Amino acid sequence: MSRSDVLVDAAWVEAHQGDPNVVLVEVDEDTSAYDKGHIRNAIKLDWKKDLQDPVRRDFVDKAGFEALLSDRGIGNDDTVVLYGGNNNWFAAYAYWYFRLYGHRNVKLLDGGRKKWELDSRELVEDVPQRAKTSYTASEQDSSIRAHRDEVVAAIGVKNLVDVRSPDEFTGKLLAPAHLPQESAQRPGHIPSARNIPWAKSANEDGTFKSDDDLRALYGGAGVDFSKDTIAYCRIGERSAHTWFALHELLGQANVKNYDGSWTEYGSLVGVPIELGEAK
Amino acid sequence: MTAGDGCGAPAGGVSTPADVGNQAVVQGHVTHDGAAVATGYARLLNSGGDFVAEVPLGEDGGFRFFAAPGTWTVRVLAPGGLSGEKSVSADIGKLTTADLTL
Repeated sequence: MSRSDVLVDAAWVEAHQGDPNVVLVEVDEDTSAYDKGHIRNAIKLDWKKDLQDPVRRDFVDKAGFEALLSDRGIGNDDTVVLYGGNNNWFAAYAYWYFRLYGHRNVKLLDGGRKKWELDSRELVEDVPQRAKTSYTASEQDSSIRAHRDEVVAAIGVKNLVDVRSPDEFTGKLLAPAHLPQESAQRPGHIPSARNIPWAKSANEDGTFKSDDDLRALYGGAGVDFSKDTIAYCRIGERSAHTWFALHELLGQANVKNYDGSWTEYGSLVGVPIELGEAK
Repeated sequence: MTAGDGCGAPAGGVSTPADVGNQAVVQGHVTHDGAAVATGYARLLNSGGDFVAEVPLGEDGGFRFFAAPGTWTVRVLAPGGLSGEKSVSADIGKLTTADLTL
């Protein structure tokens, strides 16, 4: 798999806007941005309402994902191109999520909504209508999703990549600074984790850095490419961005996203926590 | 009577805006040629220059961060290659204003 198989630019999107088998999807935590203007022919997915179980803390199940994609008019053979705000955090999460349920052809728009806006490209309010489909999902691919027990067992064994900001890693902040500081019961990070903030993998306009730069970033920060890797953040969306960089762009095998992330780990009873700089 | 007497008086008193509470808020508005910049992004960088958070600007060019006590830099990006930055000092229970003109 090459970079161009998973990451597209604005020119690619504009060249495929009339293609009925390419589905543009804007994904966000707050979909009000979509409602005010989005890329022509893009549909929306709400990270919370559409992708999370309304009662338990977990994803919608396989049947729920099938119902969602069928309702939105996404077919198994469609090419899904995801983009969103927050430097594509939630779009990267959705990418990982589509892969988790086995969607074959999925791509990210490099730079997401931010680069599109900073380049003053067209945004429209028209909402496209797509005919319903009968989508069939696969069982979840457990090779790309980490759960808490596996994370605890990985301390000192696998690469643990904490992609939050340095101030969240050391325990100074509990959440990214655009959110109120309420989150897990305890601040800090998982022992033996390396702090490689997601932002270091991206340019200021939200596009990913080159493969060479990414390899130097992770290698230089202590990721042993011969080992398995688990990435985490606060709720698993920024770490999906890093999962994309490591697994999809650099082609690293055995990279998992821990979507429970700090809001789960930092509230677990009895697990080890480190404060301050990485040791 | 002070808030420290333990009888439930809110810390900070009535003069502190209710939404600041125990947060260290950094907020401001961004203008260009006298008008609000409604499309653009505000990034919060820590004292080491590392990225901490980013928000899209509101219709009025506004942004808000919940930081921690310390020195921060707000950096703004807007279409047309416009950018600007300003350093501020934040503290718990305090609303720090960082207005920027691009």
